[in-house]
Amino acid sequence: MSTTTTPAAERARTVLATGQLMGWRTVDLLTIAFLGVAFGVAYWGYGLLYNGPISALGLAFQPLFGLFVGFWFIAGVVGGLVVRRPGAALACELIAAIVSALFGNQWGVTTVVSGLAQGLGAELAFAIFAYKAFGPAVAVLAGALSAPLEWVYEAYAYFADWTWAWKLAYLPLMVVSGIVIAGVGGWLLTRALAQAGALNPFPPGQEVLERKAV
Amino acid sequence: MRADDLSARTPPPAGAAAVAVRGLTWRPAGRREPVLREIDLTLVEGERALLVGPSGSGKSTLLRALAGLLLTVDSGDLSGSVTVDGREPGRRPGAVGLVLQEPGSGTVAATVGRDVAFGLENVGLPADAMPARVDAALTAVGLDHLERDTPTGALSGGQTQRLALAGALALRPSLLLLDEPTAMLDEASAATVRDAVVHGAAGLTTVIVEHRIEPWLDHAERLVVLGRDGRIQHDGPPAQVLAQHGDELAADGIWVPGVPTPQPLDIDLGPLARPVEAGVELLTCEPLRVERRRNHLDGSSEVATVLVTDVPLAVTSGRSTALVGPSGGGKSTWLAAIAGLIPPSSGRVVGADGREVGELPATDVAPLLGWVPQWSSSALLSRTVLDEVLLTGRTLGAADEGRARHLLEVLGLAHLERADPQTLSGGEQRRLAVAAALAHGPSAVLADEPTVGQDRGTWAAVTGLLLSHRARGGAVVTATHDPDLVPLVDEVRHVRTPPSEPQRSTPRAVLSACGPLSLFAAAAVPMLAAVLSPGWRVSLVVLAVIALGALVGLSNRPGSGAGWTVAGRWRGLAIRLLPGLVGGLSVGWSTWLLGSHDVETALSAALRLLVIVAPSAITLAFIDPDDLADHLGQRLRLPARPVVALGAALQRVQSFGAAWTEVGWARHLRGQGVTWREPRSVIGYLWASTFGMLLRSLGSAATLAVAMDARGFASGGRRTWAEPAPWRLADTLVVLASLVTVLVVAIARL
Repeated sequence: MSTTTTPAAERARTVLATGQLMGWRTVDLLTIAFLGVAFGVAYWGYGLLYNGPISALGLAFQPLFGLFVGFWFIAGVVGGLVVRRPGAALACELIAAIVSALFGNQWGVTTVVSGLAQGLGAELAFAIFAYKAFGPAVAVLAGALSAPLEWVYEAYAYFADWTWAWKLAYLPLMVVSGIVIAGVGGWLLTRALAQAGALNPFPPGQEVLERKAV
Repeated sequence: MRADDLSARTPPPAGAAAVAVRGLTWRPAGRREPVLREIDLTLVEGERALLVGPSGSGKSTLLRALAGLLLTVDSGDLSGSVTVDGREPGRRPGAVGLVLQEPGSGTVAATVGRDVAFGLENVGLPADAMPARVDAALTAVGLDHLERDTPTGALSGGQTQRLALAGALALRPSLLLLDEPTAMLDEASAATVRDAVVHGAAGLTTVIVEHRIEPWLDHAERLVVLGRDGRIQHDGPPAQVLAQHGDELAADGIWVPGVPTPQPLDIDLGPLARPVEAGVELLTCEPLRVERRRNHLDGSSEVATVLVTDVPLAVTSGRSTALVGPSGGGKSTWLAAIAGLIPPSSGRVVGADGREVGELPATDVAPLLGWVPQWSSSALLSRTVLDEVLLTGRTLGAADEGRARHLLEVLGLAHLERADPQTLSGGEQRRLAVAAALAHGPSAVLADEPTVGQDRGTWAAVTGLLLSHRARGGAVVTATHDPDLVPLVDEVRHVRTPPSEPQRSTPRAVLSACGPLSLFAAAAVPMLAAVLSPGWRVSLVVLAVIALGALVGLSNRPGSGAGWTVAGRWRGLAIRLLPGLVGGLSVGWSTWLLGSHDVETALSAALRLLVIVAPSAITLAFIDPDDLADHLGQRLRLPARPVVALGAALQRVQSFGAAWTEVGWARHLRGQGVTWREPRSVIGYLWASTFGMLLRSLGSAATLAVAMDARGFASGGRRTWAEPAPWRLADTLVVLASLVTVLVVAIARL
């Protein structure tokens, strides 16, 4: 074992995942799994709220639902921002969806389809930047891109019989929600976790550590 | 005796290792100064060494370096070399065994046998060769009396630590590293762990980090002392090092055997928020019985009695009480019940005004009770150390910044005033939690294991805080296994573990005979029927078929117990169906409103959704998360490592929920109430609980990563599976049954 310097020690502005990009470490796998399960529990809890007050709103005027869907995208955005490896966003979102379905939610096994659609969208945002940029703009893009595939799925499965005008109006509402709740919210959450020292094994935590080296 | 047993049943270890550390220096990211400097250390084969040093001196870090796991979860600059038998540590998976401080932090599987087999799976041992290795390892640590399918969650703290040791021994390590293996245990449990190390792991080269070294001294040939500067200060036979440098080490905070316990500090805490004379009964805790219900997804539940106390307990001003007893025996539960956090199934805890503690609003509880939970990190709610100490006082409108700084000074935390509490070490967090619990002058303080992980200096400060609180007229109740703390209190209460009663097992449902994949398939297949269905009339018939399926699937399995005790199952189903009904209603309504204003179309859309979601509500609850990884990995052939990681995460769903609850408790006891009338308080509650849950899950993922890598999880070879994932007749039947829905639609379309 000669001198090893991990990338964190080089003062780059954006820290990337250590080693090979596809070289998932044990802590990467476990963290995506744990975050996914934790968000799954949170999704399930949010589902209870969604079924109550927010459903009342939706009953009055369904497209308003679109303004609240962003919360379901947050696991993908945070997973991608934390681990910074290909597949992280998709896996985190998918696991969260599966766990919330196991706990019993409104959508049952179809949650898995939604998780896949949303996770792929978020993953795409990180892939566009070749897993080299993870700033607020990328987070916002990941939140926004979580929406379109989910919209296609919902337009087919849930509101196939809406008029096209309404279907089209629903998409921008979902995108805005994704941008605000999942994009901005996910970025703030990741930053707060990094500042609390919970992300030290990961690039966002190392960025914080190097900034305030003591 | 047990050593003989071991040699009779297992081949001798692969051979004890020689360890050589040369010039090891480690600077973690974010630190200017190295934590380890120029470490040179040689251990000969079979040597057992104790590693001590003041807290923060890098003992655990050195252990991770010896295991070759320093870069598993940390980043930084590493130079120098570590070799085990002349090679890099970890070249042979499992060659270096590691046991961590917190019981259960390295547990991977749901059952005892499966957990021990985890390392064997990682190295690709054939499944039929595993039972012998598992049995031998369990025998070596004295757990051979346990059934192999005993749930890992049902073990005591000491048993869990011995299970971790067995998991390491199963891989026949040549070097064993123990990171404060008994720090969280009562003395009796600690003795069983030491016994397992001394006899079960006899002959292995062993390094033990421990705060309290006295019980280990007879079993160690070396005592290595790390200094605060990260260098090795002393190294030699224990008796010699202690004789020559004992006083110096004691002054440095190390618990040197034979040196008297330090004198608790006398600390000026200021007055109580509600001054009271000594001897006044603040709270009365009647004889209690506390039960814990564990709900399963399928609507069944198990009830276990976790605490029985037969004598009332008075929380009295100017008095201190210690609750003592075995680890996991109910001490923490009792404290939480006194604080009104866990409702007892019989008995009450009432305040002087006759009100029950559990019913007091947050702003009334905070001046009455200070709370130091066992998991101090989940009780820390602020973003800086100073704010943390001031939080409750600010909420109650009486924060004293000068006094808060004084407390931090006394506890050795003054230099961390601006730091985020979550970045502190475990020992520092515990001290901060004590300061935060006392700063606002509550009448009584309830402290769960306040002295764990403290060195002599900080121990004197923590006990000093508790005794000074008593001196100012406050009451102290502490759950502890610290033999030095117990003599300082006025009253000692022994908590006995309630006798384990037979679990009230309910008969199992027909669907519980199915594996996870067939249940998923049965939930998914009717989607096809929903999409193909020509209209609401056919969908209604499909729903009738689904209802029939539920009737059969939710009934009792033949031969699994008498009677039709299925009411709970149907109630569970009704609850799970409710969201789907709301969803169907909203889809139907929106289709009418935003579509063609046609009732038949709307009805079709609503029933289509119900056909999609109803099967999930019926079948998904019967998926056993413990089986999921096995089936995904073996039947679907998904990549093994991600699937195993998911399985390990699902093991801990309950602990994530617990973290959520504990953050809520901490907020309540610190005056942060939640009411629907103030939406901000609800958002604050949701944010804090979610954040606390994520912090806990990230922390346990990092710890588990170290434990799993120590057992060869990162090795590139092909994994094997200790247990099969069979596809049974019931699996085929449930999938066929779900296909009936598609058949109905197909016939209707002909």
